[in-house]
Amino acid sequence: MYGWLWHRLPGTTPARTGTMILIMLAVAAALWFFVFPWASIHLPVDVSGFGG
Amino acid sequence: MRQVIRAAGEIVLTAGAICLLFIGYLVWGTGVREASAQRQFTSELNRQWRQAPSRGDAIDASPEQFHLTTGEPFAFITIPAFGPHWRFTLIQGTAMAQLDVSPGHVPGTQWPGQVGNFAVAGHRVTAGNPFWSLPSLRAGDLVYIQTKLDNYTYRVIGKKWVAPTDLAVLDPVPDHPGQRPTKRMITLITCDPAWTGTHRVIVTGILIAAVPR
Repeated sequence: MYGWLWHRLPGTTPARTGTMILIMLAVAAALWFFVFPWASIHLPVDVSGFGG
Repeated sequence: MRQVIRAAGEIVLTAGAICLLFIGYLVWGTGVREASAQRQFTSELNRQWRQAPSRGDAIDASPEQFHLTTGEPFAFITIPAFGPHWRFTLIQGTAMAQLDVSPGHVPGTQWPGQVGNFAVAGHRVTAGNPFWSLPSLRAGDLVYIQTKLDNYTYRVIGKKWVAPTDLAVLDPVPDHPGQRPTKRMITLITCDPAWTGTHRVIVTGILIAAVPR
């Protein structure tokens, strides 16, 4: 998966490394700001309320 | 075969990294979001209260009126037993969207100072862990509620564990459905054990003082 992605990235090794880091940061940010807030509401983690 | 094993390893490692990131989000990220919301609620309340009118004795005067929409802040809660810096705003509503930013008033229960049962729910963990120490409260501990017009002091009188379906703790007379209330109670609710939704810790208190701000 990562190897496949690495071989398709353009440029030299430093450029590829930078692009790879940017891609990972973008994925992490999408998880942090969009996926995790949604998941934390829908997963049974600390459901402290009664009703709604 | 080797490629399959490598791909499987990468997927497992990626899933592990995502799980760790999610745990980091729950422990730290939700707290950051909650702290930001608390700052916003606090400045909103301070702005609204700056020109708050004063009045006579809060218990004898007509009850303070609350007309709130879901998610709107209306009070501060302070519990000295949780430490000198423990203070949160209270907002209307206890759906996850509200509990993720602040402890909330359970809709349908009474308001601070009113005869009946003023119920407040908060997260035990995540979102700043507001009610992390709720199970450690003891009879005699004090709970302060500060609203626009009044400062209310409740004294803890009891604590118990119930199932999430035991809604009788929210009745105007807790655990006595249909009974007419004569006392001014507070009920604080959070989950137990931490990180689960299997049970609720219920801390009950009674109003001992109400003075105008």
